[in-house]
Amino acid sequence: MSAPAPVAAMPGGLLDGQELALQARGLSLDYGSRRALDAVDLAVPCRRVTALIGPSGCGKSSLLRCFNRLNDEIADCRIVGDVRVFGADAYAAELSLPELRRRVGMVFQKPNPFPQSVSENVAFGLRLAGLRARLELEDRVEAALRAAGLWEEVRDRLGESALRLSAGQQQRLVIARALAVEPQVLLMDEPASMLDPISTLRFEELVVALRERYSVLLVTHNMQQAARVADYTAYMQAGRLLEFDTTDRIFTNPRLRGTEDYITGKLARDEE
Amino acid sequence: MASNASRPVQRRDLGLWLAAAAVSTSLLALAALLWVLLAQSWQAFAPAPVALLQWRDDAGEHSLLASVLAQDEQVLIVRGSEWQRRGDAYRRVLRSSLVHLSFPADALNLRLADGREILLRGSEQSWRGLDPQQRLVLPGADGEVPVRGADLVEVVAVNALSGWQRLGTGLQRALGFAGGTGGSGLFAALLGTVVLVMLMSVLVMPLGVLVALWLHEYAGNDQLARGLRAAIANLASVPSVIYGLFGLVLFVHGIGGSLDVLLSGTTAPVPHWGRGGLLWSALTLALLTLPVVVISVEEGLARVPPGLRQAALALGATRAEMLWRVVLPVARPALLTALILAVARAAGEVAPLMLVGAVKYAPALPLNGEFPYLHLSQQFMHLGHGVYDLALTGSDGPRDLAQAHATALLLLLVVIGLNASAIVVRNRLRERSRELSA
Repeated sequence: MSAPAPVAAMPGGLLDGQELALQARGLSLDYGSRRALDAVDLAVPCRRVTALIGPSGCGKSSLLRCFNRLNDEIADCRIVGDVRVFGADAYAAELSLPELRRRVGMVFQKPNPFPQSVSENVAFGLRLAGLRARLELEDRVEAALRAAGLWEEVRDRLGESALRLSAGQQQRLVIARALAVEPQVLLMDEPASMLDPISTLRFEELVVALRERYSVLLVTHNMQQAARVADYTAYMQAGRLLEFDTTDRIFTNPRLRGTEDYITGKLARDEE
Repeated sequence: MASNASRPVQRRDLGLWLAAAAVSTSLLALAALLWVLLAQSWQAFAPAPVALLQWRDDAGEHSLLASVLAQDEQVLIVRGSEWQRRGDAYRRVLRSSLVHLSFPADALNLRLADGREILLRGSEQSWRGLDPQQRLVLPGADGEVPVRGADLVEVVAVNALSGWQRLGTGLQRALGFAGGTGGSGLFAALLGTVVLVMLMSVLVMPLGVLVALWLHEYAGNDQLARGLRAAIANLASVPSVIYGLFGLVLFVHGIGGSLDVLLSGTTAPVPHWGRGGLLWSALTLALLTLPVVVISVEEGLARVPPGLRQAALALGATRAEMLWRVVLPVARPALLTALILAVARAAGEVAPLMLVGAVKYAPALPLNGEFPYLHLSQQFMHLGHGVYDLALTGSDGPRDLAQAHATALLLLLVVIGLNASAIVVRNRLRERSRELSA
């Protein structure tokens, strides 16, 4: 492995004046003796889409899961550093984990609807939050499905099993499920990698629309996707966040050789 | 024949033949088991022809109306009317000693509600048309016996029966045996078995699921958890009678005895809780089946897709909410599999029950219309115990043995029935989850 990049990952003044949704400073993460993240600094601005790119195994998903603390579920996972969600320490002792996860929603690579009806899936988080009134539940479910661009397709199938939907619909359903609890941030872990091109297109339109109200951190392997939907892009390699800039700059004029090589597909596999 | 076949193919053929032989041996053994049970059960219920016997021996001349259970060229094995028997229900009679042998068409077999049989000659119609309130006196060897018309449950002119009628009578008797209450029927034992198994299921399932949840979701894989897992797996192979002994000491004497002292203040002269009973038996069986339940539930939990767990957590579910709302519902078929295994293991157990509550004769049903309806502290009858009891300690030799087989057949049917219903429920759940995953 080459020496760490000498330049700071983020050009000074880039995010000045912007409210930050997520922030990681000096974040290191170990799985047992294996270091997955090494002193990562990342800032995710509010109401923007930030893409996280980099070769497989570079720590993108691990970084993502620090923000909703899903890494806590892994027994031998150790985290050092500062993680903030809207300025508040995400690893504070008095913090309520369910509360944090309601504010920081997540969409996974593989569509993972529960084996329940479409509406039950969307209502899941609401019920957890203690919402019982039927009419309000129905309203919120509809609003979430509309926001995920799925309402027109499933309005007559709300009672049907979610597993009968197509993969693209399932992925939008789990987005609706995440949106229903009205999070402030959405973490997306390669959410379009299992979708066909048409569904991917719809998904990308959705992400662009979501940016009106949500801050999105999107892990993707699809360079075109990052270029199409993201305002900012961060490039990671081998557990380090090497470069962060506007998507435009990253794709047209990256400061690092490694970033350029990866984007243009020149990165050799063994450097992963 | 095998000239074209190469060696490996021949070897595979040998394996096939061995497998086929093994399968057919198993099937034959099963068929033989069923055949023995059926044939022996039939012996218990088939109406035997009634013969009029007269013979002479040192004590003088005898005359006897008796059912002929078996005969060959030299010997008849007969059972006299219950009235005429004194200790020896069965008698071997040498044909050579017989002065007279006939099968009178007017021989009647009367059966009383308590299971006793009376053989006599007369008109079927006049006995059938008896007023239930009418009192009559039947002649018996021990003197005259008062009987009411209502006590007569069966009047059959056995010698006049056609083949189908014999079958019908036998089946009717079998049904009466299975359904009858009191000393003559198995209903109490049937109910006792079913209630016991259900109570056991109600006790073991929550406990087993909780233990499995703890082991799989909370305990991790440290030394303690590994040791516990090994201990549980080993518990599954402890002989059941040891559980019975354990139940006797812990539940009956320990908890039951303390309860008696607690409730009555002193050690009651007649223990109420401090003796074998339904609850203690169910608890003992629950302990016995706990390892099976824990192991199969844990396997079911391991098969729940991790994506679903993460999705629930990411939506703000606590660990408990995730388990309760996502993991357990998805693992439901596995829970039923665990229940099926537990029922299969528990329904046929006899040895531990003999120590903690099953009895030959219980005066009341474990479940009846009297408050509190389910009588947890009562001793109860059990089909498996009935088999043991009839086969080994019965007073009426061959007939009891035949009835033991009938009881065994019923037990088999109960176990199959309980299992089948659980399997039906599981398959329905699976279908639903398949629909959901379609």
